[in-house]
Amino acid sequence: MTIENISLFQAMNAKMSYLAERQKVISQNVANADTPGYMSQDLRKVDFSKLVANVSKNKMHVMMEESNPAHMAAPDQSPNPKMAKSKSPYEVKPDGNSVVLEEQMVKSSDVQMNYTLMLNLYRNAADMVRTSVGKKS
Amino acid sequence: MTDFFATMKLASSGMRVQSERINVIAQNTANADTAPEKAGDLPYTRKQIMFKNVLDKASGEKMVAVDKVIDDKKSEYLKKYMPGHPSADADGYVTMPNVNSLIEAMDMKEATKSYQANMGMFTQTRDMMSKTVDLLR
Repeated sequence: MTIENISLFQAMNAKMSYLAERQKVISQNVANADTPGYMSQDLRKVDFSKLVANVSKNKMHVMMEESNPAHMAAPDQSPNPKMAKSKSPYEVKPDGNSVVLEEQMVKSSDVQMNYTLMLNLYRNAADMVRTSVGKKS
Repeated sequence: MTDFFATMKLASSGMRVQSERINVIAQNTANADTAPEKAGDLPYTRKQIMFKNVLDKASGEKMVAVDKVIDDKKSEYLKKYMPGHPSADADGYVTMPNVNSLIEAMDMKEATKSYQANMGMFTQTRDMMSKTVDLLR
């Protein structure tokens, strides 16, 4: 039994990789803050509560593999966030650039807060597993 | 983790172009009083830096890079009354560079702000990464 097989960890993993990807997109926006014609991007919001609901019902699913992007995701698989243009940017500069640094900073601090939360949850859950296998910490 | 590395790469590409921008601004400011060699010649012309999007094929990210450094031919040259100057024309005027130190100072402020934003993204991502590594402890 590896830790990835526990569905709670799977859910946390999915959220953490979503956050890491979002951080990347935000960083791309910040780097291109002065590139003419660049439109700021963001990831679509992903409903992780659905994922956790599947986990907490404690159903054992046989995982289906997605070998084609047109396949529907298995119920306890994390949805794939898609990159999209930000719908309502604060402003668009005369050179066609829609990156507002302040907006990006707010987003990235949001990402960081969520990531720290996930890390703490992960640590707690891992400690619980360790306790159950009788390791004194 | 690969997302984090890509984020740091993006942020560093942003910092690189901003420091090149500061380089160009310094060049303009340093040459703000560079008169032409003889009467009738053009003096130092203000340089402008252009950025562009570059697709990094390894990670699929939109990195930022310097497109080109061009001469600013739209701003007017200044005329300075210096009859004793060797490059003065018949009326005693010398054509001086079209560098406006106020514009350069503002541009410098903007470049510094962008650089710091990229630096912020870099530090934040590094913190997230090191916290993730700390899970091992």
